[in-house]
Amino acid sequence: MIELEHVTFRHPNASRDALVDISLDTQPGEWIALVGANGSGKTTLARHLNGLLLPSQGSVRVDGMDTREPSAQSAIRARIGMVFQHPEDQMVASTVEEDVAFGPENLALPPAEIRRRVDAALAAVGMAEQRQRPPHQLSAGQMQRVALAGVLAMQPAYIIFDEVTAMLDPAGRGATLEQMRLLHRQGCAILHITHFMEEAALAERVLVLHQGHLALDAPPAAAFGDRARLRAWGLDQPPAARLAACIPGLPPGVLTPEALLAALPPPPPGWTLNATQLSDNSVTAPAEALVDAEGIAYTYMQGTPLAQTALRDARLRVPAGAITGLVGATGSGKSTLLQHLNALLPLQAGRLRVGPFDLADEHTNRVAVRRFAGMAFQQPEAQFFQTYAGDEIAFAPRLAGLRDDELRQAVRAAMQSVGLDFETYKDRLTFTLSGGEQRKVALASILALAPTLLLLDEPTAGLDPQARAELLAHLGELSAAGKTLLVSSHQMEDLAALCGEISVLRTGETTFSGPAGEVFRSAAFAQAGMQPPLAVLAADRLAELGWAIPPGVSRLETLCCILAGSGEAA
Amino acid sequence: MNEFERLQAMVQGQYLPTGSIIHRLDPRARLLGVVLLLVGVTAATSLWGALAGLALAVCLLLLARVPLRYALRSLLAPLPFLLIIAALQVLFSPPAGEDWFTWGMLRINQAGLLLAIRLLLRFAALILLISLSAASISSAELTRALQALLQPLARLGLPVMDGVLALQVSLHFLPFLGEMAARIAKAQAARGAEWGSGTGGPLNRARQALPLILPVFLNALRKAETLADGMLSRAYGSQPQRTALVQLRFTPTDALALLLATLSALSIILIRI
Repeated sequence: MIELEHVTFRHPNASRDALVDISLDTQPGEWIALVGANGSGKTTLARHLNGLLLPSQGSVRVDGMDTREPSAQSAIRARIGMVFQHPEDQMVASTVEEDVAFGPENLALPPAEIRRRVDAALAAVGMAEQRQRPPHQLSAGQMQRVALAGVLAMQPAYIIFDEVTAMLDPAGRGATLEQMRLLHRQGCAILHITHFMEEAALAERVLVLHQGHLALDAPPAAAFGDRARLRAWGLDQPPAARLAACIPGLPPGVLTPEALLAALPPPPPGWTLNATQLSDNSVTAPAEALVDAEGIAYTYMQGTPLAQTALRDARLRVPAGAITGLVGATGSGKSTLLQHLNALLPLQAGRLRVGPFDLADEHTNRVAVRRFAGMAFQQPEAQFFQTYAGDEIAFAPRLAGLRDDELRQAVRAAMQSVGLDFETYKDRLTFTLSGGEQRKVALASILALAPTLLLLDEPTAGLDPQARAELLAHLGELSAAGKTLLVSSHQMEDLAALCGEISVLRTGETTFSGPAGEVFRSAAFAQAGMQPPLAVLAADRLAELGWAIPPGVSRLETLCCILAGSGEAA
Repeated sequence: MNEFERLQAMVQGQYLPTGSIIHRLDPRARLLGVVLLLVGVTAATSLWGALAGLALAVCLLLLARVPLRYALRSLLAPLPFLLIIAALQVLFSPPAGEDWFTWGMLRINQAGLLLAIRLLLRFAALILLISLSAASISSAELTRALQALLQPLARLGLPVMDGVLALQVSLHFLPFLGEMAARIAKAQAARGAEWGSGTGGPLNRARQALPLILPVFLNALRKAETLADGMLSRAYGSQPQRTALVQLRFTPTDALALLLATLSALSIILIRI
């Protein structure tokens, strides 16, 4: 049992408390989800549980041991395991098995016992085959499994998962959640910190943190009932609950996709599809292609023994003025393909045209290509190097030769297009901004070059539900203002909300591309290890049940509109 | 390799897991053997000793199944410097025997030429031996070997185990640091910096590297902090003495290899024809 009594904590030199008077008890074997906006204190709270941080006031006790007691430290840390968001930051040793052995070695267990535990832990996460490999050669999902094995080898009674799924592809995410279910069944208590409400809905109990206060402590059905209240905390309902809300006649408390799909009713008598209903694949005239790629192949470290093929036969067509999606498992070559489009990687094979530029021609001006095709990398805020937000955004236009008024105008316009007020934000220190604001600054710093094409790699990763929704809205506005967007993402709900067309990459090859609704329902999509968004599954199931749902629906809002618009009214 | 990959490769280890007979030796034997040979080549007094050292290094590379072209690449970078030093050696050698050419202080004679050749051979042998050890000893094995070899010092109460762990963590941190530098360079290039556009001389390159330093440094600090949290969460430092998963076994083959290395080192030092 973990007991927190009136825990208050303030970071050194901070002006306000990160945690305010938090009291709670956990039961053995309980699965708890901890949710809250970026900066609400979730990670700070988690770090109190195993004594990485000590409360300024109040106390934390684990199975009766106070975390302040230095002699209890070893026992507490052996009982509470912690897995972090970035798996590569947790790797200590140079081979997988030695990394897993690190914890038991610290507990000074005999070598034979360490060997037994390491083997069991690696088998449990399915990484036994990779035991001799250096961690940095693994994919993010594999590294996350190794990190979990390192915790399992200590045989803890509680495991804290701190946003472990944020950087994983759908298959890696599914495997991690499956692992949590299994551990929970074996009697391990789980504390899962997450920004994905559908993941939080799997728990038995939900804790909501809001600005350091424990705002709510309730079972999921109660926690996710009131959408307005959740939004005030920067959160949202899980997609299943949002969809359930617009289907008449569903029992309350439907939170998971499984429950929703099982509970979908047949259409009420007299229900007909309203003729004015819109399909979300607004069929437009075939636009001219802004990007045309054919037969792209790329090998990293070519000509050395460390050569590694990332792309074998990728093709891509990005229609001008639209938002196009790029999906594929980790290691399928999405980032490599994106980096070809703004000439960061030289073309090794194939042909590639980006706007007016032919990249097969080595005389093409690469700097000009990069100005035409602006690229926002994953977690772009990690690459900030200016102190003030305004300078960060001004970096690119300044290099392009803009000065004074022109420069101010460029920065102002870029900030406006992502919803940041110029006067308020230009002099803010970049590292004091919230996660969502930092992401907007990063996006503005690319937009300041006024690119025609915008390349985005995992634009919403690590953002809380509200910041994510805001960013998606801004991307939609950019597209409406005439920019062409290419978005690579593991979040199918995001892509469904944004994209007209989607391309699927699998082990360096484009296996399918077409309208989003078609792609989500294709065999190539499933073979690439992807999960369609909930609206697709629900629409298909509803159609089976006899609802007249137009084909190709993949957007939650569209489906809701269809269902609500002409229900009993018809 | 393009510019970004070079940035990454700069800090990446050159370990090649070929599984050769060399790779299968106990890491302690490999480490001590290479050190002995390095000492031998450094102390070699004759031209023939240096030549034997070079020949031995090439043989060992072949035995370890390291592609020779790959190993020779490491010779390319220091080659201009070596050639300049060798030329100075030739021109400024002391008067001995018959001079073939003199001009003021400068002279060329047989003794000077031989000295220069010995120097070149010696450096080539040293560099190839170091490539051999990089290609055949992984960082995991290096730390394991050091840990075992330094055990006596730990018994005296010196914190060598912490030192070795620090070395282990930094060694495996390097590839991530390289990736990070490449990623940040790309992000800056995407915003119009001149990375990867193939322009500019060495001075320009150095100027480009400046804006890299701050974010790489900040990211490394952030990573180090998470790493420390990760290590503490896994009970690091909670017991006075750690144990180890891998137990090394020193076999007769390892003893034989070490004996051969000792004999070779001695012959390299003492050989005179």
